[in-house]
Amino acid sequence: MVLLNQKGFKLPRVEKEKFMLLLRLGLDYNSQQTLYSIKNYNSIHQLRDTLQDILKSEIAFTQTCTICNIDFGCSTCNYTKFCPTKDLPFTCVCNQCLRPKKNLQQQKLF
Amino acid sequence: MKNDLWVEKYRPTLIKDVIGNEEAKILFVEWLGNKRRTKKAVLLYGPPGVGKTTLVNAAANEYNFRIIEMNASDTRSEKAVTRIANPATSFTGLDKFSSEIKGNILFMDEIDGIAGNEDRGGVNAIIKIIENTRAPIIMAANDVEIEKLRPLKKVCTLIRFQPTRIPLIIMALKSICEQEHVKYEFVALEKIAVNSQGDVRSAINDLQGLSEEGKTLTEQDTLALSLRNKDVSMYDTLKEYFAVKNIADAANLLNYSTVEYDDLLMAIGDNMPKRYTDTVKLAEAYDFLSQADVFRGRIGIEHWHLLKYFYNNLAQAASVDPESYKPFEFISPPIRVITLFWTKSKRTLLTSICMKIGVQCHVSKYEAKMIFVPYLRLMLQQRKKANALAEWLKLTPEEVTFLTGLKMF
Repeated sequence: MVLLNQKGFKLPRVEKEKFMLLLRLGLDYNSQQTLYSIKNYNSIHQLRDTLQDILKSEIAFTQTCTICNIDFGCSTCNYTKFCPTKDLPFTCVCNQCLRPKKNLQQQKLF
Repeated sequence: MKNDLWVEKYRPTLIKDVIGNEEAKILFVEWLGNKRRTKKAVLLYGPPGVGKTTLVNAAANEYNFRIIEMNASDTRSEKAVTRIANPATSFTGLDKFSSEIKGNILFMDEIDGIAGNEDRGGVNAIIKIIENTRAPIIMAANDVEIEKLRPLKKVCTLIRFQPTRIPLIIMALKSICEQEHVKYEFVALEKIAVNSQGDVRSAINDLQGLSEEGKTLTEQDTLALSLRNKDVSMYDTLKEYFAVKNIADAANLLNYSTVEYDDLLMAIGDNMPKRYTDTVKLAEAYDFLSQADVFRGRIGIEHWHLLKYFYNNLAQAASVDPESYKPFEFISPPIRVITLFWTKSKRTLLTSICMKIGVQCHVSKYEAKMIFVPYLRLMLQQRKKANALAEWLKLTPEEVTFLTGLKMF
């Protein structure tokens, strides 16, 4: 599995048609830094499929924690089984922020 | 504690407080702030309870816009839309110069609900208003794939909202609990968030419904939610129905199933011989099923107070002999539905033939089918007369072949 950073990632050189398709599906290309980033999330599921096709491997995007702003992967989450947007680049809360370790003893009873 | 709805009490008034869908929020704020926007309307779409309406209200509050709202409870015919939306989007209010209000926003919520005769011409009227508007137009919908909204999608910027992620819902619930001084077990909040399926509104409503002053919200309290929001399909309903251990389980399952009553009745009837191999038990189960059928007939379309008897009989049919259950392969959907599906093309062809006969012989479709078709079939089998007859009735070769091979109808 390839882990892509949603803020910017590189792709191998693609044909013109494929490149146009990627832009149409919501990607943005910074030619100076040669980095792709996501501009529009409306077709994110199709975009993921197209990227998987280009990279010939399953892909996952990093998640950004809304509280501590760190990047993390969905593999560390306990709720992936119920998540309809698993591995897609949307904001979330990391495990450390969701269940602070300091309060482990208090977790049972707040 | 329970006087105010928490959904309203804790509804965010600032954009940054709307949880989840950060990407959609950025796109929306960019669109709202851009005075040279290429498309004058935006369509926010996504499942219910993810913050579409809240975001619009928060943005209006933050950027000092006055919201003029039309929602599903209003009639949205061409006339009504023009009457309300035209003045709101074409003129500048005098208070713009005397107060902080920047102008109007026309907000049309649940735009996918525009349907039927009452709202005739509504979509076209909205498109016309979008073309001439001076104010931003915002629309919200759950489903934009419906045919009626296709022309509207072309003139709007589309912003998709995703179901809110579970950790974000848990954080929101935690925050509410802290503000309301509700003690909780973390697992209970997890259960509520998972059960909500990304719908923050329903999660907050569940939390308010379950929490009691001075009592700790435990995992046990959330058990009542276990089947909430669960869209139980025909296959899952049958699977659980035939495996129930007692009447209560069966009744509970049937209450939450979304399967059509008639389809369910037929499917249970079709599968019953597979469930009960003992003929005495099978007869007993069919007896309950027939009583359920009687009640279904009595319910019709208005006597829904009898539904409990219908369910009760179905539940009894499931629990005639719970111990004898062994897993088996279901017939799903019911045989009658499958048969209708497979014979649809044949029935369509026969109807088309009957219509042609009706036109030439001045009879109804029913008469053509019952009186003419049997004789026509025999006549077409005699090759000498077949061509002339088929030509006169304007039958296609496919229809002739179908008629000559017809065994019964």
